[in-house]
Amino acid sequence: MTLTSPQESSVPRRRWPSPVVWIAVAVLLAVHVLAWQATEFSPAALIAGWDGMADFLAESLPPDFSVLGKSLEAAVITLYIGLLGTTFSIPFALALALLASRATTSAAWAQQAARAVLSFLRSVPDVVFALIFVTAVGLGPFAGVLALVFHNTGVMGKLWAEAMDESDRGPRDALKVTGASGPQIALHAVLPTVMPSLAGLLLYRLDVNVRSSLVLGLVGAGGIGFLINQSIKLFRFDEMVTHILVVLLLVVVVDQASGFVRKRLGA
Amino acid sequence: MLAIRGLRKSFGGRVVLDGFDLSVEPGEFVALLGPNGSGKSTVLRCVVGLETPDGGSIEVGGNAAMVFQKIHLVGRRNALDNVCSGALGRLPSHRSLFFSADVREEAMRCLDRVGLADRALDRCARLSGGQQQRVAIARALCQRADVILADEPVSALDPQAAVQVMELLKALAGEGIAVVAVLHQPELAQTYAHRIVEMRAGVAA
Ligand SMILES: Nc1ncnc2c1ncn2[C@@H]1O[C@H](COP(=O)(O)OP(=O)(O)O)[C@@H](O)[C@H]1O
Ligand SMILES: [Mg+2]
Repeated sequence: MTLTSPQESSVPRRRWPSPVVWIAVAVLLAVHVLAWQATEFSPAALIAGWDGMADFLAESLPPDFSVLGKSLEAAVITLYIGLLGTTFSIPFALALALLASRATTSAAWAQQAARAVLSFLRSVPDVVFALIFVTAVGLGPFAGVLALVFHNTGVMGKLWAEAMDESDRGPRDALKVTGASGPQIALHAVLPTVMPSLAGLLLYRLDVNVRSSLVLGLVGAGGIGFLINQSIKLFRFDEMVTHILVVLLLVVVVDQASGFVRKRLGA
Repeated sequence: MLAIRGLRKSFGGRVVLDGFDLSVEPGEFVALLGPNGSGKSTVLRCVVGLETPDGGSIEVGGNAAMVFQKIHLVGRRNALDNVCSGALGRLPSHRSLFFSADVREEAMRCLDRVGLADRALDRCARLSGGQQQRVAIARALCQRADVILADEPVSALDPQAAVQVMELLKALAGEGIAVVAVLHQPELAQTYAHRIVEMRAGVAA
């Protein structure tokens, strides 16, 4: 076999990154330097403060297991907040997802409106919703549930709409030919097709929401997050460690359970 | 039953149909042959309203149903539910959440007609390709089709299943339905169709 040498002009020339790329890299570096300064990032401080952390650990060990009962009770509340926050967001997320997906809604204005609502709900963090609802319904788990319903509607609605967007166009066309209306096509072609994906995403959100409800507890929405906050304020670090161990247990159990069911769903 | 006159359609300035004519009588089985890209699918999709023609006229005396090469059933639902969905066009919204007994009975008769009554409660994804295509034809029957447009209905099937589906389409034509089938094998067309229409570059050749 002979190799004919290619003509000069046919060899593509090596292309160096354009000046724009260099400028972008420089800007990115500069921003990181600014961020380093603004966050007072300092490994030295971490090393110098090692004693403080050792004291803290000494105070927190051994854990005070006398609060275990109280801790478990509060963990169940945290689980309930995550559960209701997820469940009660289902109808809103479903309605908005059906409106937002191009598989189920043809009117562009309706899609845009639903997407705007979803992205608003998604971009307000659940902690902010919690602080707002605490002012309305007072400290306690109910504010946490409301916060999760609002934020989770935004996140889950978007995930569900994307799952619908990706569903096969064929069965939709087939029903369109029979003269089916948009809602009929959604009900008889899109939803049956995407149901396993929707259920998988729901379980994934349940998992995330139970963890979020911990943080919501820190801002006054009850549950075990609230107990952690209290024991820090009272310098009872030995109690706090018990609470944190219970949290670990809760998170692992929910994560495993949701993972198990998702695997069974094949989603 | 079906009269297409001077059908024109372009996609982004590229002319795909350039004055296509075709009429089909009730009970007639027409095979549509032609090279890839000659516009066969586009004709069928225009007839059932999946594409909007740029010009020409389409007259359908009754219901037009479509059967696809990729079948397009909802794989996770059972055969009966898939067939029932053929009736959606005549059901009001409030009656289409669950299919009522009369719709299910009619769908069972359609499944029986294609020889699959015993598989009514099987998920479609579990049926063979040939069985799925027959379920899709049952769905067209449940739509009370007067015209069936089949776009390469047997291209994805093994020869035995293909023969079964062709026999079925021919029998349905015998019962008065107008059938137009896009086929790739001229032998199948010669064996089963009453008439063969060759398409070339957007017109009947
Ligand atoms: N939705 C579409 N958008 C753009 N081009 C299309 C579309 N549908 C079909 N075409 C083009 O029209 C031509 C005819 O397509 P088609 O009707 O599918 O041919 P056939 O079924 O005979 O193979 C092809 O060149 C195809 O690429
Ligand atoms: Mg084609």
